[in-house]
Amino acid sequence: MEKIELIKENLDKASSIKDIINSSTLDAASLFDKVNEYKDIALSAFPLPINDSKEGRKYRVKIEKEAYNLFKNNVNKPLDETSSSYLDKLASTLRFAKQSLSLYGVTYDQSLVDNHIILDVRHLKEFFRAGDYKTKAVHDVSFSIKEGECFGLVGESGCGKTTTGRCVIGLYPPTSGAIYYRGFRLAAGSRWNEKEIKWSKIHVKEEIKNITQEMNNALSDANESEYPAIKEHYQKLIDERKAYIKEHVAEQKALIKQIKFDNRHSNPRLRNEIQMIFQDPIDSLDPRMTVEDIITEGLHIQGSYNKEKNRKAVEDALKKVGLIPEYASRYPHEFSGGQRQRIGIARALVMNPKLLICDEPISALDVSIRAQVLNLLNQVKEEMGLTMLFIAHDLSVVKYFCNRIAVMYFGNMVELASSDELFKHPLHPYTKALLSAIPKPDPLSEKSRVRQVYNPASSHDYFTQKPTFREILPGHFVLCNDAEEAKYKEEIAKLDKEAK
Amino acid sequence: MKYQSINYPFETGDKPIDKEAVLSVRNLAISFKTDAGYVRAVRGVSFDLYKGETLCIVGESGSGKSVTNKTIMGILPKTAHIDSGSVIYEGEDLTKVSEEEFHKIRGTKIGMIFQDPLSSLNPIMKIGKQITEVMITNGNHLKNYYNDLINEEFIAYKNDQRILQLEKETCHRKVADLKKQITAAKKEKDASKIEEFNASILSIKNESKEKRAQIISKIKEDKTALNVASKEAKKKVAEKRKGIYDAHFANLKSLFNEHKSNLKKFYDLFLIEHRRFLSEIRVTHKEAKDKALKIMAEVGIPEPERRFKQYPFEFSGGMRQRIVIAIALTASPDVLICDEPTTALDVTIQAQILELINDLKAKRNMSVIFITHDLGVVANMADRVAVMYAGKIVEYGTSNDVFYDPRHPYTWALLSSIPDIDSKEKLEAIPGTPPNMLFPPVGDAFASRSKYALGIDFKEEPPMFKVSSTHYCASWLLDERSPKATMPKIVSTRIANNLAHAKEGK
Repeated sequence: MEKIELIKENLDKASSIKDIINSSTLDAASLFDKVNEYKDIALSAFPLPINDSKEGRKYRVKIEKEAYNLFKNNVNKPLDETSSSYLDKLASTLRFAKQSLSLYGVTYDQSLVDNHIILDVRHLKEFFRAGDYKTKAVHDVSFSIKEGECFGLVGESGCGKTTTGRCVIGLYPPTSGAIYYRGFRLAAGSRWNEKEIKWSKIHVKEEIKNITQEMNNALSDANESEYPAIKEHYQKLIDERKAYIKEHVAEQKALIKQIKFDNRHSNPRLRNEIQMIFQDPIDSLDPRMTVEDIITEGLHIQGSYNKEKNRKAVEDALKKVGLIPEYASRYPHEFSGGQRQRIGIARALVMNPKLLICDEPISALDVSIRAQVLNLLNQVKEEMGLTMLFIAHDLSVVKYFCNRIAVMYFGNMVELASSDELFKHPLHPYTKALLSAIPKPDPLSEKSRVRQVYNPASSHDYFTQKPTFREILPGHFVLCNDAEEAKYKEEIAKLDKEAK
Repeated sequence: MKYQSINYPFETGDKPIDKEAVLSVRNLAISFKTDAGYVRAVRGVSFDLYKGETLCIVGESGSGKSVTNKTIMGILPKTAHIDSGSVIYEGEDLTKVSEEEFHKIRGTKIGMIFQDPLSSLNPIMKIGKQITEVMITNGNHLKNYYNDLINEEFIAYKNDQRILQLEKETCHRKVADLKKQITAAKKEKDASKIEEFNASILSIKNESKEKRAQIISKIKEDKTALNVASKEAKKKVAEKRKGIYDAHFANLKSLFNEHKSNLKKFYDLFLIEHRRFLSEIRVTHKEAKDKALKIMAEVGIPEPERRFKQYPFEFSGGMRQRIVIAIALTASPDVLICDEPTTALDVTIQAQILELINDLKAKRNMSVIFITHDLGVVANMADRVAVMYAGKIVEYGTSNDVFYDPRHPYTWALLSSIPDIDSKEKLEAIPGTPPNMLFPPVGDAFASRSKYALGIDFKEEPPMFKVSSTHYCASWLLDERSPKATMPKIVSTRIANNLAHAKEGK
């Protein structure tokens, strides 16, 4: 009863705010605040958690539409820059609400949205098969990126960092694990569940075999009169195991079904918010297409065929990356390496991405051009409020660019920390080796530099206990076991002492 | 402060007292013929390479560093033309040497490592064969003996042929240039100029004809001398061959007489004798393999026996680069040219390869020319550094000079554009792109991209100023009349930090 009253109260409040908005003339900022207030109260009037049911999502779309219209009708016309940016914000939330309605049934995690986590990768595995040979490119990688953050992935060539990036954007279907974007599961792999079914069946079969063996032993020892009781006892045990396996398999099969459903229903519009910049600016641009064709290709896939609108979008994107709009009619071979990489960036930016994956964007460029592209990426990041996943093998570049850094080695993540923390307390021997291999433009220190060599066989003892990914300092994770954890903690204390 | 200027492309300043120059390049200028015209890739480069030292050449792509080194190796493409200059190695000018003589220098005395280790190895050939290939194909002792005997006459003959060809080319080019000017004059309808040009064409042609006649007569003399020498040499080789065969048969006879009763033992001894006989005629496969395994172990390849039989695709990037280095080392060269050997590799592997090159250099007392665009690598490797821009050397000095006291705006720009581990300030990118070398800029080539550019930079080329006895820089900023300019703050703070670190360490 109380609940119903509360709902009624909220609805009344919402309508009163609506009336206020409709009756009075407000400036853009306060109008936007009022509209948001209306939205919040109206949404809280829904009795259940809003994303859990189809009705809830429908209700949300309705409210968002109302809010958008309220703002549009009551704002001072003609629109100036700030009010149009507010309108864009409302439109984007409306779009997201519509998407989430169309994505009903796909696995959704509200806690990710509440914690402002835009991308969450969970236990990602990616195996490639060639005949009998299986390459475990990514073995077990988990990380999450917050909104507006720049996350760096570092490691030597062949450690799986590019594969991780390509999994996130959907170029490879993950073998196992899941990728969550803005709370929705974009892609997932079912290998773990299939293996679970297989092995649990085998285990239960063995258990039943053992039980029957025990039963036979018991039967041979007992009198004939005791047979039915013994048989009944063991039959009960066997039935228990059988029931368990049936339930377990059904559970896993349901999960697999859900994974397949999610993969089938991944929303292309949602996916469009993730864009990628590729490593090689020469190979990643089609030599037979003009710059305009290259940049508008994505827009066409998105479904916008309005020529004038597209041309304007291309011009804006080119301006944003520091090129002249007249370049749109030229072909890629007419540009230098740095300019080509700018075209690659423009192609990604024209889609209005929220998450940008940069796959070694500067390693194929000349030294003097690298700084240009790095500064451009920094500028774009600030202007558009982008979140970035930055993949590179050069730690000095990543340190310059990223908030948090993850170090990968042979498909596993070995260390994850904020960039300052990683350089202050490098703990894993591979991170140390990587840090000691960076050449500095400083002859005196360079001549005395001692390079550390990482040899996994000699630097770890994982026979007694297998390593897990643990948090050693707040926000600083390392792949280690108990003995190593103690050792690393000592090391940190020692380093801190030295610094003082 | 007043700095003296030196007459740069013709002299390279003070020579260190205790150093011996192995290779000296003087006023080298190279252009490439394209449909649009001549691309001036290198425009007057001079430097000395001293024994046991590493010279690093730094610059962005298109600055002419690779072309300079291809000239030293004699592997320029056919479209390239050497406009002027010389490369002196062991008293000889490598730009005027015939291809036949170059065979004796390339690989054996000057070795080269290329950028991409995958494309410089043959994918369908086993590694072992690729390493031993050179030794075996050049391993016919009798043929080598014959070549040595006629070497002088043969090379004189081929060199004269080359000079004839060069003479033809230069004449052709001069005439073509004049003809272009004539067409230009025809448009302006300047009759006197046309006549002048026509006259000069005639005179050039006549001059060249005379020269060519001289050279041709010389070639004829050379040929007769070569014929005589080769006849004598053939006789000598036949004698030597006969000696070897006779000794072999005599040995076999005596062995057979000794071990008539025990044929098994005779067979074993026969095999040994046969091997000795073969090794006198040519380099045997076993010898070549032993040497290859030794070198593979030297460049740090584990299990060389097993690796010897594998294909390139079974090797990782770093291992492939080691193989390439091993191939370059088989002939134990005096000078090793490394053309961006680590650009295609990642940081850890790069560090390994750099260590390897440094070790080998110290062990074999080689001189190394190292081309790169990574200043960190330069700091690791270099004894001396030459910074190249638009086909010219703009700054030249020891690595301490260039890194702790840079003077040229381009060097400042390069140093400020790389991210540093110790700091996080905004990078200062170099604006614009390198100049188009079809129309090389007048004056200082870097002026259009530099914020320190003076008016004179666009009109007149700066001379090479002598900063210290080892440090030279071509920039108008060093002239006493120019306004005082200091390097960007980002660079000066980094240098101060680095020097402070070095002091603390000591």
